[in-house]
Amino acid sequence: MNIIFTIVKKELTELFRERKTIINSFLLPTLIAPILIIVMIKVGQFMEQKQQEQQISIGLVNAPKDFISITEKGTNTFIPLKEPQDFSILIEEGTIQAAVVFPKQWNEHLANLKINEISIHRNSANYLVNNRLEELIQKYEQKLSNERLKQLGISLEKITPFTTHYIETGEQREIFGKQFGGFIPYIFILSMWGGCLLAAVDLVTGEKERKTIETTLLLPISKFKILMGKTIVAALLGFFPAVLSLLGLLLSIQFIPDIPIFLKDAIGSILNFKSISLTFLLLIPFSIFLAGSIISLITSATSFKEAQSKAAPIIMLIIIPLALAMTPDFILTWSTALIPILNIGLSIKEIMAGTIHMGMYSVILISLISLAAAAIYLSHKKFSDEKAILM
Amino acid sequence: MFPLEMTLEISHQLLLLLENNTMIEIENLTKTFRIPKKKRGAKESSVINAVNKVSFHCEPGRIFSLLGPNGAGKTTTLRMIAGIVKPTSGKATVSNLDVSTNHFEVQKKIGYLTGSTGLYERLNSIETMQFFGKIYDIQSNQIEQRMDYLFDTLGIHEFKKKLIGQLSTGMKQKVSIARTLLHDPDVLIFDEPTSGLDVITAASIIDLIRSAKENNKTVIFSSHTMSEVDLLCDDLAIINKGKIIYNGAYTDFKQEMKADSLTQEFINRVKEASL
Repeated sequence: MNIIFTIVKKELTELFRERKTIINSFLLPTLIAPILIIVMIKVGQFMEQKQQEQQISIGLVNAPKDFISITEKGTNTFIPLKEPQDFSILIEEGTIQAAVVFPKQWNEHLANLKINEISIHRNSANYLVNNRLEELIQKYEQKLSNERLKQLGISLEKITPFTTHYIETGEQREIFGKQFGGFIPYIFILSMWGGCLLAAVDLVTGEKERKTIETTLLLPISKFKILMGKTIVAALLGFFPAVLSLLGLLLSIQFIPDIPIFLKDAIGSILNFKSISLTFLLLIPFSIFLAGSIISLITSATSFKEAQSKAAPIIMLIIIPLALAMTPDFILTWSTALIPILNIGLSIKEIMAGTIHMGMYSVILISLISLAAAAIYLSHKKFSDEKAILM
Repeated sequence: MFPLEMTLEISHQLLLLLENNTMIEIENLTKTFRIPKKKRGAKESSVINAVNKVSFHCEPGRIFSLLGPNGAGKTTTLRMIAGIVKPTSGKATVSNLDVSTNHFEVQKKIGYLTGSTGLYERLNSIETMQFFGKIYDIQSNQIEQRMDYLFDTLGIHEFKKKLIGQLSTGMKQKVSIARTLLHDPDVLIFDEPTSGLDVITAASIIDLIRSAKENNKTVIFSSHTMSEVDLLCDDLAIINKGKIIYNGAYTDFKQEMKADSLTQEFINRVKEASL
């Protein structure tokens, strides 16, 4: 154990003297959450402001006067048009963003209590215009419906058979946890991957490139101890970024102004001592698994570039199950608890929601420990292959 | 085992040690590498005999030189003696310890130096010595004493706190020598130690090899430069395509010489063996 500690100390000293490690394993993970939150807030504010300020031009054909009068002044410009004409050209040119065509018999149909049909010409890709126009049409429809009811002498209550009132039975934390908990593994696991990969490549392929691998293999200690030292360091450099990402997230919600209350509440309600401890307990064997897998894949690589391309497929094996875990179709069951990576995504979601089943959690933890052991066994086999390590 | 039998066994071993002055004994050492077909672009994988039934021995207080052209099998032989590479067949013993079965004990007795220093560039000289000292299970105070002595002897004190990566090639080689000698090994293996070094640095390596001989160490060094061999060696083995083509005392080799120069003699012998 003393020997492994000596190797860990030496490897950490070497890695901490590399600027790349400081940036990738410490600075970026700490800053990623604050940067994401600030960008989200700024983009949200910008979009809202843009939506409020943007002038849109709506072409109108046979429009009744009261339609124009219901819209707010300043944001919409109405352009009277004549039919027939190709509205799509005008929309494409930007002369107008949409066109509303009222039938010629509009007033006549209204007076006779008949149904009118309005044609709306629009580009469905332009969400801002379409939303604004839809609001306008709904408002106008509501206005005319009320007028028609009044004309018929019927009160609104009489034609409303029921109203709905939703009472949430789940705790706010559970709702937030299930909604946002799926994103948490992404923050952790991607930064873990980055840290692990960088360290493993430096510790194995880097030694080959710097021609120190022979010196290391000459040490009068078993290859397993050398490998364990390197695996522990790679795992630590995967684990640190995860802790720092979380720290960054917690500091962000404390200190960044303008965070929407719902987001603050969401993060605050799901992140507590228990949820953080349970999550990190899963991430310990997972980081060892990552380190072991990467080392076993890159041992025969002779350059940084080759090592990175050899390790690249692992990221796909991580991203796909995590993406599936975010979808509501996948839930944590005894079966899904046994599917690697997917079980981490699903369990973190349940942990954040406060609804984790401890039996399933134990199964996941044991499966991750087994995977970590298998990864170490595999990397030891590769590391002991003198042709792979010395070539 | 009964005490009498045990006493007899110990006496027998001691007698063997006294009779046998050999520190390194190599018997039919063979190393084959299987080259996968995808690496060669061939249809089938092939087997290469990097070292083929090599036998020789080295004695304390003598310098043994392993001479051969590039790719002859010198490094593979030395790596097998040092326990970095496992032999396919044959036996290598160091101080009567079988390298295959007493791997770590043998490695503790060996100091291995190559021309490419093999130092960890992000550590300084002190950290390097402390790391190796701990791995070699040397007490902290002994590491300090030995480090002081080696730093004094080799003139490392002035740059001992600088990272290895910031040192010149000559400085690095000094640290590499200190690292090799830290655990005061009985056997010193030098694998093309002067390869790629300037004349001054190469001269310091030559001095080290000489002083090791004076200190009754067993020295084995590989080279493809005849002038270095002439300067240093007592015993010589020439290796070509994995096979030993000459093995004997250097004085005998010189007497048997047919060519005008040592280099020419070496070339002729390699050419003859290749026919």
